[in-house]
Amino acid sequence: MAKTYQYCVAENWGKGFIEHSESQKITFRGYPANVWQVPAHNKNANVWINKVLGQVKTKDEAQALVDAEVTASQTAWDNNNAIDGETIEQKIDRIGERPQDITLEE
Amino acid sequence: MATYKQIQGTAVQNYTNDPANPVKGQLWYNDTANSFKYSSISTTGSWSTGGDLNTARDDLGGAGIQTAALGFGGFSPPYQALTESYDGTSWTEVNDLNTARRTGGSNGTQTSALYYGGQPTPTGSIITESWNGTSWTEVNDLNRNLAYYLAGAGADNTSALAFGGGTDNPVPVTSETELWNGTSWTEVNDLNTARAELAGAGIQTAALAFGGDLLPGSQAVTESWNGTSWTEVNDLNLGRDRLGGAGTQTSALAFGGFNAPDFQTFYTESWNGTSWSTGNNLNTGRGEVGSAGSSNTSSLAFGGATPSQTAATEEWGAGAIITKTITTS
Repeated sequence: MAKTYQYCVAENWGKGFIEHSESQKITFRGYPANVWQVPAHNKNANVWINKVLGQVKTKDEAQALVDAEVTASQTAWDNNNAIDGETIEQKIDRIGERPQDITLEE
Repeated sequence: MATYKQIQGTAVQNYTNDPANPVKGQLWYNDTANSFKYSSISTTGSWSTGGDLNTARDDLGGAGIQTAALGFGGFSPPYQALTESYDGTSWTEVNDLNTARRTGGSNGTQTSALYYGGQPTPTGSIITESWNGTSWTEVNDLNRNLAYYLAGAGADNTSALAFGGGTDNPVPVTSETELWNGTSWTEVNDLNTARAELAGAGIQTAALAFGGDLLPGSQAVTESWNGTSWTEVNDLNLGRDRLGGAGTQTSALAFGGFNAPDFQTFYTESWNGTSWSTGNNLNTGRGEVGSAGSSNTSSLAFGGATPSQTAATEEWGAGAIITKTITTS
């Protein structure tokens, strides 16, 4: 199956990392662990990856990086039990919902 | 007959690849594509990255416009009193809130803002604080028992509207609306649909409430406030809660948020006074996002949950230079 997306790791340095003119041309999706999804086989996406010195990753490599960060967030949530006898609902009121898994697309 | 150069002052150049930074109105010939191209100004909005917050957090309050904004409170964890000021490029830490908390309602400008309700503890509060451009001062409380995940609208710290949110009894969400006159809160007509985790835009006499959560259940409901009462208008295309909102009653932007079961979204919708239309997505999907902005053509998204807390800031605007190809039939 042909790839729809490609992935890279690049640190968002703020202003200028993604310009309006770039997000007009291609759709970006930023995920935890500085993982970025952009269209595959796309000249504008390749130009942007070069600009930000992105390290290209396979989908499986990118998924592993995202999983590691989400798992860390989930573990932190699971271990945050500061109040004895607290219900799940009370815990959600205190620190928010448990982080959900993220599944990257091919 | 005058040539193109005589009219424009420059010749049409040939390029193997499109020029990297064309100026508005520039015309060129692309040898590879065998076509004439020109640069134009986009009329549709998109998100670009801005300077990161100094402290990544979610559920924070916001006020101001894209080039002069204020972000305050939030959750890191723990609950935060931090206040940061944005100049269009970077965030600078300024004086803290008196009470660290998240999920309050907020409105105003970078130099005159109000933050009300929110969670300094899991059960919420009715605390109101007023920002004068330098520091926060505690002022009179909201009237309701508890308030968190509520929304707000208003021009500055003398004029605000607080609506919806979580509360205690007898149900977990409220439709209550309160009006701030610079000194105290007065209860006015309720929302038609009680909900928490909604967004707001506008001013005290002309506001918009959109999205939210019935706990459980993400909502697409939009209501318009005329200074006296709320009227239901056209829904968002995608129901969501803990979303960002900015702008006015007739020109607003909704971005990010969560939709069931709890997935942080990239979606952006633009309100033209009558209906919502989908626009270019956020570059970083998130809920519990801080927001500021003047209209559906100029807004700011900062912080939020991706699901972990992020410091990322994005600027929404139109006017990017884009390349178009000349076609003939």
